[in-house]
Formats: sequence, C-alpha cells, structure tokens
Amino acid sequence: MNFTFAAHLRTGLREGFSSPLAAALSLLTGGLIVAIAWVSIRWLLLEAVWPWQEADACRETTGLCWPFLTEKVRLILFGTYPFDLQARPAAVSVMLCLLAVLTCRQMVGKPPRLNAGQLAAIWVLVIGLSFVLMGGGVFGLQAVDPVRWNGLPILLILSIVAVALAFPLGVLLTLARVQTSHPILALLASSYVEITRGVPMLTVLFVGIFVLPLTLPAGVSISPVMATLVALVFFHASYFAEDIRGGLLSLPAGQGEAANSLGMTYWQATRLVVLPQAIRRSLPSLVNSLIGAYKDTSLVVVVGIHDLTATARMSFGDPEWRDNALEAYVLVGLWFFLSCAYLSGIGRQLHRNSAS
Amino acid sequence: MIPPSPPPPAEKRLHLSDIAAVGGLALVLALAVFNVLANMEAAGVSPGFGFLVREAGFDVSSSLIPYAPSDSYARVILVGLANTVFLAAVCLVLATVIGVVFGLVSVGPSPIGRALALAYVEVFRNLPKLLVLLILFVLAVNGLPHVREAISVGPFHLSNRSVNFPVVVSNQRMWFAVAAAVVGLGIGFLWRARHKLADRRSGAAETAAINLLPIALPLLAILVFQVPVTVSVPELKGFDFQGGGRLSLQFVVIAATLGIYHGAQIAEVVRGGLLAIPKGQTEAAKALGLTPWQSIRLIVLPQVIRIVIPPMNNQYVNLVKNTSIAIAVGYSDLMSVSGTIINQSFKPLEMMLITMGLYLALCLGLTTTFNRFHRRLTRRETR
Repeated sequence: MNFTFAAHLRTGLREGFSSPLAAALSLLTGGLIVAIAWVSIRWLLLEAVWPWQEADACRETTGLCWPFLTEKVRLILFGTYPFDLQARPAAVSVMLCLLAVLTCRQMVGKPPRLNAGQLAAIWVLVIGLSFVLMGGGVFGLQAVDPVRWNGLPILLILSIVAVALAFPLGVLLTLARVQTSHPILALLASSYVEITRGVPMLTVLFVGIFVLPLTLPAGVSISPVMATLVALVFFHASYFAEDIRGGLLSLPAGQGEAANSLGMTYWQATRLVVLPQAIRRSLPSLVNSLIGAYKDTSLVVVVGIHDLTATARMSFGDPEWRDNALEAYVLVGLWFFLSCAYLSGIGRQLHRNSAS
Repeated sequence: MIPPSPPPPAEKRLHLSDIAAVGGLALVLALAVFNVLANMEAAGVSPGFGFLVREAGFDVSSSLIPYAPSDSYARVILVGLANTVFLAAVCLVLATVIGVVFGLVSVGPSPIGRALALAYVEVFRNLPKLLVLLILFVLAVNGLPHVREAISVGPFHLSNRSVNFPVVVSNQRMWFAVAAAVVGLGIGFLWRARHKLADRRSGAAETAAINLLPIALPLLAILVFQVPVTVSVPELKGFDFQGGGRLSLQFVVIAATLGIYHGAQIAEVVRGGLLAIPKGQTEAAKALGLTPWQSIRLIVLPQVIRIVIPPMNNQYVNLVKNTSIAIAVGYSDLMSVSGTIINQSFKPLEMMLITMGLYLALCLGLTTTFNRFHRRLTRRETR
C-alpha cells in the first residue's frame, strides 16, 4: 500500500514536471490547492470553537462555531414546525430519503428487486403517509398548518413529489409530441415544452404563486406549498419530456412496427414495447435533469416557502448569531453535496450500464 | 434482396381525439380566464396593459439607463431588462473564460492541475446555484472591508458595498472616435467578404493591418479632431465614493456566482470536446510536419468548436435563465422588477406574460444565433 502510493507519487511528480508548461501549471494549481486547504483547515479546525466550549467563545474567533450548530441544528432541519412534534417531519425525511435510495437502486438493478407495480405502490404509500404525518388532523395526530412545514421535509416533499408527478406528465407530453397523425396535438405539446424550457424556473414559480390562485373560482383557495408543487410539476415535466423524447427517437422504428405487426394496439405497443426501452435509453439524461430539479427546488425560497436554505437564514436571523451565516449555509451545502453526489454516482453507473 | 417498403404516408385528417383534446384544453383555459376576470373584478382591478404607463413609484438598486421613481412601469421594466442583458453578457464572458481555462487544465499535462479541475467541476455540479450565491454574498458582505477602508489598487476600489473604477467621461466630440471605429470595423468586414474565396496564405500583412484599423482609426480621430479625453476617477467623499464607474456588490457577487457555477459546466463541455478528438488527428498532424501550435489551430480547434457548440448553446441559454436568481440578493433585474410590480399593482397575469415573453425572446434569440453559426460551420465542413 505504502509502496504503491509512493510509486504513484513518483510517476505523478515526473509527469507533472515533465515540461516547463507542466511544471508551471503544477506549481500554480498546487499553490491554489494549498491555499484553499489552509483556509479550510484554519476555519474548520484551528480556529474552531468546539461543541464542549462556551458559545461566547465564538465572538473571539472567526472559525467554525460548533455551539451555534448544536443549538440551531433542529431549527435548520425542521424550521418552525412545532418543537414537540418534530419526530413527525424527521420520520417523513427518513422515509422520503429511503424511497429515493430504493428507487435509485431499482434503476441500476440492485436488490431488492421489485416490479413496477410494487414500486408504484410503495411510492403512493410513502407520499400519502408523508402528507398525513406532516399535516396531521387524522388518527389523533395534531394538525399542523402547511405554512409551518419547513426545512428538510418540505425540500424533500417538493422535489420528490414534484418529480413523481412530473414524470408521467412528461411521458404523456412526449407521446403527444411524436404523433405524426395528430398534428395539432403534437404542435400543442411541442410548443408547451419549448416555451417552458425557454423561461426561468422562477417565472413559473411566480405564475404558480400569483396567477394560479386567480384562476380558481371564488371561495376555493390553494396553499402556497400546493401552488408551488403544481408549478414545479408543470415545469419539470417539459424537461423530462425532452429527455424521454431523446430516448424515443434513438429507438429503431422497427420496434414499434414489429409490435404493430404482432397485432398489438397502439397503447399495448407503447406500454409494453416502446416506452420501457425509450425510458431505459433516456435514464442517464433523466438522472441529470433529476439532479437539476432537486437542486433548483431550493429556489422556492424566493416565493416564500421555507426550505433548507430559508431555515438556514432563520437560524442566523437573531442578532446574537448574526455572524454565523457561513456555518448554517455550509451545513446545507454539505447536505446538497452528499445527496447530489449519490445521485451523480447513480447517473454514472447508468451511463456505464448503457455503454456496455 | 427486397428493398424495405417505404413507410406509409402519414394521415393528415383530423381525428376525433384531436378535436376532443383541443376542445378540452380550450374549455379549461376559458374557465381559468373566466375565473381570473371574476376574481379581478371582485378585487376591484380591471385587466389590461394600461397600467404600464402609470407611475412606478419605486426605486431600483442600479440602472443602466436614466430612471427615476416617477417614471412609468414600462420604463422600469426596460431598466430591468437592460440589467438582465448586461448581467447575462458579463456572466457569459466570465463563465466561458473560466470554463475554457479549467477545461484545458483538466486534460493538461499536470496531474495536480487535473485533480483541481476535477474537484472544481464536481463541487459545483453538486451545489444549488442559489446556495452558492448566498454563501458568496455572506462572504463578501462580512469579509470585505467597509467603504472607508476599501481595498484599493490604484484607482480601483473594492469594498463591501461596491466596486469603483475610473471611466472615460463621454462628450460631444467622442462621436468622432466612435464613428471612426465603426468605419474601421466596416472596412475590415467588407475586405474579408471580398477576399473570402481568395487564397488565404497571401496577404497576411494586409490582414494584420486591416485587423488593426478599428483601433488605429479612432486613435487617429482623437488626434485629428482633438477629442478631449477626460477620465473620471472615483474618490472617497463622505460616506461613499464619488465619480467614476460603480458596480454594486450584488452585481459582482451574482456575476461571480454564475461565472463559477456555469464555468464548471462549461469546463466539462470543453473537456468532453477535447477528449472526443481521436489521438490519430494530432499524430497525423505531427507526421505531416505541423508544429504543435499549427496542429492545435488548424486540426484540433476547428473540430472541437464544432462538437462543443450545441452543448455550449444549451449552457448559455441556461445562464441567461439563471440570471433571474439575482432577485435573491436584490439586484434589480427583470425578475425582481416584475416581482415588485406584481406586489404593487396586482397585475400578476399581465406582468408574468410580459416577463416570460421577454425571457423567451432572449433565449430564442440566443439559440437562433447559435444555430445559424453552427449551420455555417457544418456547411463548411461538408463542402
């Protein structure tokens, strides 16, 4: 182990200083790495105030303030959700994470192997249970207003539920778009997809928050969380549609024709032959869009939904902790980095699977 | 062998399902419009775009065109649009430079450089842009000095409020120099159009001279017409800098965020493009006796550009759309201006139509330009 490391180091150094250009580049980037590492180590370790120290010590240093994190971690995770009931959002967060991991494992063909029906049933069950646990009001659970659904659970609900609903809508949009014998349907679907992809997500969120309530009849109201969810579904659907269309177009036309010649109806051929293959082919780009959708869910803070980014802002809102913004944001960043890195890993694996 | 039969001609008649789908959609839309009208009437607001000429009454954080709160809503939308376009242009250049540099480093000769480029791409691919923006904003506000202790490099000053720099003050005679530059560019353009089909090897000296014209002519004009060149230098007076040019901290932070965030993605695009060129190409160039620089300029670069244009187009469109996150730190771009107008005037439907239309136009314009460019390049390839 030591030997191979030394050998790697030797070959690396030899390569890195093989020419004047390489040497200059190595020195420059090496210096940059050392500088970044030094600043990080100083902030993380050398000047940090440890959890067992007094919080007052944070005012003397510029390093990481652990007492702030230990005091505010529940506020960052669950926001203003009633403090005594926070086991519920915690359970929802764990459930939704497990659901995401389970689905990812299915995509790359790892156990437990489930069929599509079982997976769909689990999705419906978990999402239903999430709303029941968050909202309460049934089975003796105390009711909690959606305004107080904050932090991690709302981020997961908005991203996972939006993706779950946007995916079938994306499939339908794709199918409508590739119809050659229904030109009007195809035109409607393609203009919808192109227009949605040509505007920022924030404009769609604004439409959900400000315009959607206006289109409802008088007396009917929609909570901001639901309005945001609807906006996210309609926005993500067109990105998914574009990915699935890529897979569909790469599928040889013979597949659908063969299914037709076997006497299958359009829906049979689509459901059993065309779509499964098209979706499998588009999985790598779908995972990319998925990561984008998940990261962009953090934009809901602009329309007043308190996801992780907003609860982080709450945590350093009171004057006592004004200087600890970086700690809160780094914690949120760490969560996003780890979860996205997991999804990226799944994407890479899919890429390898489709290449082999 | 029997040739495959041609596909059956697509039917062009209208299906019942088409009519049903369109009818259903029209019904839903009609219902929505009816509800909107009813709700607006209940709130005492009449629909229409008449509000655009009314007085806006709110100020913006920065503006490229003259603006006062007493101006109309239409004008403040224009201010927002100009800010968005300016921000997008700056970010575009920044992201491209960062992306190309890191893309080159990631396939370069230094393993340390490759590791750094890889880590950079990986970190920013896994972080939401909003979080990057907020972290950079916090770091800038807390980390940079107050205006009075601004970091100064010559006439450039950086504080936690703004970046101040000297600018050339425009005057009436300046137009001579501008006109000279336009003439210089025009001559270059015409010359190139005439010599497009001519042998490229001849006239290298002329090309160099023509390329210098847009710089030489204005300088000549400044000397001949005695254009006064006055430079306004920022100076600390009271609580802030007076004179010179000023970019707000918000602008600088958003530009840096989008530059770094999209730089990482562009680096990946550039890396992909460079790796897609088979090794045989450079080896063949070497065998033909081309120098390394010639091989890059004549063999590698033309192929890389053709590969990266479609994904770059995608990146640029995303970048233009992502400028809208500027609203989170209060830079007066199109999105933030339209948010303020919605809150003030209760015209969400009209304002969102305008805002989405403008963003759509920006993105479509960019895509069209890129597609034309790509077509031109690929046409040259097939010739």
